[in-house]
Amino acid sequence: MTTQEITATSDIEIAEASRTNLWRDAVARLAANRLAVVAILPIVLLFFIAAFGPYLTPYDFLAQDFTARLASPSSEHWLGTDELGRDVFSRILYGARTAVSVGLVSTAISLIVGLVMGSLAGYLGGRVDMLVVWLTDVTRSMPALLLAIVINLTLKVPLEAWMEQMYLATKNTFFRQTMWVDLVLVFGALALIQWPGYARLIRGQILSIRSRNYVLAARALGMPTGRILTRYVIPNAMGPLIVAVSAGMGGAMVLESAFSFLGVGVQLPIPSWGKMISDGLRMWQTHPYLLVGPAVMMAVITVSFAWLGDGLNDALNPRQWGG
Amino acid sequence: MSVLLDVQELQTRFRVRKGHVYAVNGVSFQLEEGETLAVVGESGCGKSVTMLSLVRLLPPAASIENGQVLLRGEDLLQIDQRQLRDVRGGQIGMIFQDPMTSLNPFINIGTQMAEPLIYHRGMSKKDALDRSAELLEMVGIPDGKARLREYPHQFSGGMRQRVMIAMSMSCEPAVLIADEPTTALDVTIQAQIVELVKELRDRSGVAVIWITHDLSVVAGIADRVIVMYAGYIVEEAPVDALFEDPRHPYTVGLMGALPSLGGETGTRLTTIGGSPPDLVDLPDFCPFHPRCPYAIDRCRTENPMLEPVAEASDRGHNAACWVDIRDVKVQTETDTAIAGG
Ligand SMILES: Nc1ncnc2c1ncn2[C@@H]1O[C@H](COP(=O)(O)OP(=O)(O)OP(=O)(O)O)[C@@H](O)[C@H]1O
Ligand code: SF4
Ligand SMILES: [Mg+2]
Repeated sequence: MTTQEITATSDIEIAEASRTNLWRDAVARLAANRLAVVAILPIVLLFFIAAFGPYLTPYDFLAQDFTARLASPSSEHWLGTDELGRDVFSRILYGARTAVSVGLVSTAISLIVGLVMGSLAGYLGGRVDMLVVWLTDVTRSMPALLLAIVINLTLKVPLEAWMEQMYLATKNTFFRQTMWVDLVLVFGALALIQWPGYARLIRGQILSIRSRNYVLAARALGMPTGRILTRYVIPNAMGPLIVAVSAGMGGAMVLESAFSFLGVGVQLPIPSWGKMISDGLRMWQTHPYLLVGPAVMMAVITVSFAWLGDGLNDALNPRQWGG
Repeated sequence: MSVLLDVQELQTRFRVRKGHVYAVNGVSFQLEEGETLAVVGESGCGKSVTMLSLVRLLPPAASIENGQVLLRGEDLLQIDQRQLRDVRGGQIGMIFQDPMTSLNPFINIGTQMAEPLIYHRGMSKKDALDRSAELLEMVGIPDGKARLREYPHQFSGGMRQRVMIAMSMSCEPAVLIADEPTTALDVTIQAQIVELVKELRDRSGVAVIWITHDLSVVAGIADRVIVMYAGYIVEEAPVDALFEDPRHPYTVGLMGALPSLGGETGTRLTTIGGSPPDLVDLPDFCPFHPRCPYAIDRCRTENPMLEPVAEASDRGHNAACWVDIRDVKVQTETDTAIAGG
């Protein structure tokens, strides 16, 4: 580059640098949204705890202290202990792991399924579209919790039996860990409940963007397909998807808690907030702290994801930017 | 003047669940350098599909079955995708009906306007932005430089259409196709947009194809007019000849001067009763006959070809009609049917 070119930076170029990028603008708008910023903190904290929880907890989540069962909150046990003398605070921190892995994995699975099904429906149209729409309608017409219970009741026993057989056949100890059955069932149920939402969203996005006039106008200007995809279709489809994923993460965590509450959740040694809430509920009059800790965590996280989703929605939608 | 665009026997149809929709049925016309050609006709008569076919911008269900689109002798229906992209925007610019949705809401005006310049003209981003600012001022948007930073939602409908015009003209195309560019706008804005295109045309010498429902716009802007019905060109004439001496009953109808079918409303002039046909078959009759007060038996069994009209007042006046409507005294309350000769 010659010096002339360097010094010839016009105001346009500066303006260009500051406003050309949607994502940069979106981040700025998100940062200006108080609720969304407030919401980011617990969410970041949640992921941090999920990753490093085991190094932070004062006690192991399984460590039982029979001398201190159902102890009230104290300097030793900040949030008291449960029936088995396990430290509630430690268990809440471990519970973040369950919540995050449930949120991430089930959202990832349902998003992938939704992306594939939604894109197929949107691109191919015709019979494929009708089939996908029908499938999503059928799935969505069933109550989520009922679906989870049915899946658990019908598949758990046969799956465990199959694992046992596999163990006998292969002597591979992997097949001894029945927690995998739980995980598969819970993630499977969550994905089954959530994929139709993503599929319909993506289908709608593709249908509407493909027929948008600005795509036609860009093609009429001779823009190559790749550029139209990256500059026109994807940015316009991303906003609603990011919002949906954000809300879906919170939703998945709440659903998993509801599953646990109903006894069809993750039956792991690792604590789940839903399980802790349902256990704590039995004694809430005498030992409310067993309930309060996980319930507050759950509420904070859910609200945070909702606020973040709202903030993202506003930040990513240029129509809301005002003149 | 020499022929810039020569369209021959263009035929486009859509695949639908039950067979086909015949949207464009053997359309032929020429556009000369610098000429303004208006294309008129009711909704659904194939105006847009014809123009989209020229640069192969059709939806997936459509296919071009036949024809040639010769732009300075090169057949646009035969060139490869890469050459086609150079033609689009580079040699043929298009503007569309709905300016509110014709710009990408996620990209600011400057970046959006710069893209074709960078792509077709190989300009640097900076040059393209400087040029875009000039173009904005050229289409009547003051303070172009500052407005480059803004996003489409910060522009009104009329301004967005100005931006679209600036973009489609930015690479100095030989042809500008305007597909009902004013339909979605307020009346006062419509007039401004028409004036703007006229001004740009006169300055740059671009040939214009202007699609519209509105014959009053045609009189002010066009040199020549094509009237389309049911995927056919039914009349073609220099603009004065068309207004003074229309020969196709449908054209007469568009001018609001068609005697009513069956005569029950007497001599009162009406708009055309009925609606255009479905286009699910290629007709072996005149597609206008169910709505035509001049229809004769032959109209129901044979589809007329576009042919020079008798005793034309002007050269290049063609119509597709079995009847010379000047010979026919149309029905009034007192007349009985005279058609059938
Ligand atoms: N995607 C499509 N699938 C099936 N048929 C279509 C499709 N698009 C257009 N058509 C048919 O093609 C015919 C011509 O449509 P076209 O859009 O060219 O009309 P037009 O003259 O531009 O009307 P308008 O004034 O409303 O813009 C219509 O009868 C319509 O039914
Ligand atoms: S051919 Fe017959 S039906 Fe068709 S426009 Fe002429 S008179 Fe009417
Ligand atoms: Mg149209």
